Amino acid sequence: MSNVLRPYLAAVRSTLTAALTLENFSSQVVERHNKPEVEAGGSKEVLLNPLIISRNENERVLIEPSINSIRLSIKIKQADEIERILCHKFTRFMMQRAESFIVLRRKPVPGYDISFLITNTHSETMLKHKIVDFIIQFMEEVDREISEMKLSLNARARIVAESYLTAIST
Amino acid sequence: MDVAFRKIDIDVYDEDALQDSELYEADSRDPAQVLGDARARQASVRSLLAKNDIAGALTAILENAPYGPNVEDAKTMSLQSLLTVLNSTKSTEIPAVIKSLSMDSQDTLMKYLYKGMAMSGWADSNASVLLSWHEKLTEIAGTGCIVRTMTDRRTV
Amino acid sequence: MPEVFSISQNPITAHAFNADRSQLAVSLNSNDAQILIRSGSEWVPTEMLTEHDKVITSIDWAPNSNQIVTASQDRNAYVWQQTPDPETGKIVWKPTLVLLRINRAATHVRWSPKEDKFAVASGARAIAICSFDPENNWWVSKLLKKPIRSTVLAVDWHPNNVLLAAGSADMKARVFSAYIKEIDERPAATVWGSKLPFNTICGEFTSAAGGWVHSVGFSPSGDVLAFASHDSSISIAYPGGPVYNIRMPTLPLVTLTWTSEDNIIAAGHDCQPIVFSGSDAGWQEIGTLDNGSYAAGSKAGAGSVGRLKAGAFATFRDADSRGQTSNGTTDTKLITIHQNTVTSVRPYAGVPGQITQVSTTGVDGKLVIWDTASVNALTGRMAAMSM
Repeated sequence: MSNVLRPYLAAVRSTLTAALTLENFSSQVVERHNKPEVEAGGSKEVLLNPLIISRNENERVLIEPSINSIRLSIKIKQADEIERILCHKFTRFMMQRAESFIVLRRKPVPGYDISFLITNTHSETMLKHKIVDFIIQFMEEVDREISEMKLSLNARARIVAESYLTAIST
Repeated sequence: MDVAFRKIDIDVYDEDALQDSELYEADSRDPAQVLGDARARQASVRSLLAKNDIAGALTAILENAPYGPNVEDAKTMSLQSLLTVLNSTKSTEIPAVIKSLSMDSQDTLMKYLYKGMAMSGWADSNASVLLSWHEKLTEIAGTGCIVRTMTDRRTV
Repeated sequence: MPEVFSISQNPITAHAFNADRSQLAVSLNSNDAQILIRSGSEWVPTEMLTEHDKVITSIDWAPNSNQIVTASQDRNAYVWQQTPDPETGKIVWKPTLVLLRINRAATHVRWSPKEDKFAVASGARAIAICSFDPENNWWVSKLLKKPIRSTVLAVDWHPNNVLLAAGSADMKARVFSAYIKEIDERPAATVWGSKLPFNTICGEFTSAAGGWVHSVGFSPSGDVLAFASHDSSISIAYPGGPVYNIRMPTLPLVTLTWTSEDNIIAAGHDCQPIVFSGSDAGWQEIGTLDNGSYAAGSKAGAGSVGRLKAGAFATFRDADSRGQTSNGTTDTKLITIHQNTVTSVRPYAGVPGQITQVSTTGVDGKLVIWDTASVNALTGRMAAMSM
């Protein structure tokens, strides 16, 4: 693990732990409704200051806490055009299946690649520290996943080019 | 048919609605004075740094830090001088320096660390320093310090 | 050694005991309140109080008049009394309607010390003070409105039956007069004031770093107010005197109770009851009731970044690539008894001013009864904190 990655993930872990202090909170704007305040944004006083943790210009995490929900958005490293395409496809694949991931949001927050929405229901039914672990695990894996995909893409391109060119070189 | 009226946010007209200004006590100082203070502090920080007094320099910045609206210049200036201090601290000295700070200063330091990471265009050069300070500060002041950064509306 | 009962798998949103502690009313994060009876070392479910159609947020059991009041997010509250069923003659709990006149969720409810009134906190930026109207056989309410600006999260009665403390999401803890002419005798002057018509504000305190006030409590004498707020701090306010604020390095506290004039027990997202002690000269944190060794199994080393790999991920990877089924890893357990947020702490045994045992319930569905005397130093906290 590179040297900057560890404090980066540690910072995300501690910030997320601090933000995951949720409670059941019924809407004070709409009668008999109970919705994630961070999404509804109807009452300012139950929203907290959003925090950003950044590793560099291209990799950052935005955490928006509120009284009954938090939104965590990740900007994934994209060094070149191929990585950009891969990242887009990868996150799109995940987000189209968002309900299977439970805490995943269907659409990322503008400026970020993928967003998670964790509500008080999630922190009641799941272990809080395991939710944190899941997010950290995801962040660790996603970079590796994309660079592996990029490698195999390049390898495949080379094989295709080779076999194509051997056919016409004879 | 004109449907623009549907987009009007009627909740702002609710007289019971809570305003931003009611969420925290405003800074009583005048913006110009705050800016002057920040400038004076920048100078004193430089001289303290020259004497290698890191803890003193940090305390100088973190006490009475500017907050609230209309003082963006002073805030940026304070952040700049803070970053100078952070960058000139050896990583082995960090825990001792943090321990010497008061709880108020620790909370304010945490706010500045997050602000530093949030500034676009600044992250590349400072991220690793900010992250290592963040790690050390969390070890000493705990997650409660991060919680207070979230709850405190007196943003720096 | 604290007594631990696993009541359910679901979160317990509120709990209340009857006078002799033989029965318990809980709400399991659902629309119904459950009555449990103690038999030996177990709690056996008996009756279900079903009338609400949204989650019950708070329950209180009046010890002397044996009435239960429940509040729910459906904007209603009911008072339940034991009466014989007209058909079968069996003793059952019967609800009485409460005319709350609030249009948002009810969040917290508490009987007054004399049990002739109760206060319902609500999301309608109001507190309903309810008293019984025998003519119509229902409970009527008077609203405390000004100057509350957001959802009221907690209320607590002063021992004189008139003053009420309230903590709300607008970051303030306030002391109101809930004097109702028809019921109350003229209260004697207290440190909070002498002339107390309805809705007088006798004190207003702001949380130090702007957190929502989750819990409020008067000291047994009623002369001191403590409140816990979301900025991970607890404040102890002396009217007209100092306000002590203790900042904690851990996650926020959400509930508190006074055990004596100089001791407070508070708990919250850190999953353990913490003891504070002091006097008008100053307050400090003195320890926890949970010494971190009661929970079965020890926890694997606290939070390194890639911990999940060592846990669940490794289990599946071993099962997949090597066909190994490793024995369960223990890192899913916290070292505290409560495995999730503690949402409510209440006095269990003793007299006001000298509470010897407290009970806590939490999101993990556990009920724990603690001896207030066995205070431990905060050892396990670092591990719990960095989870």
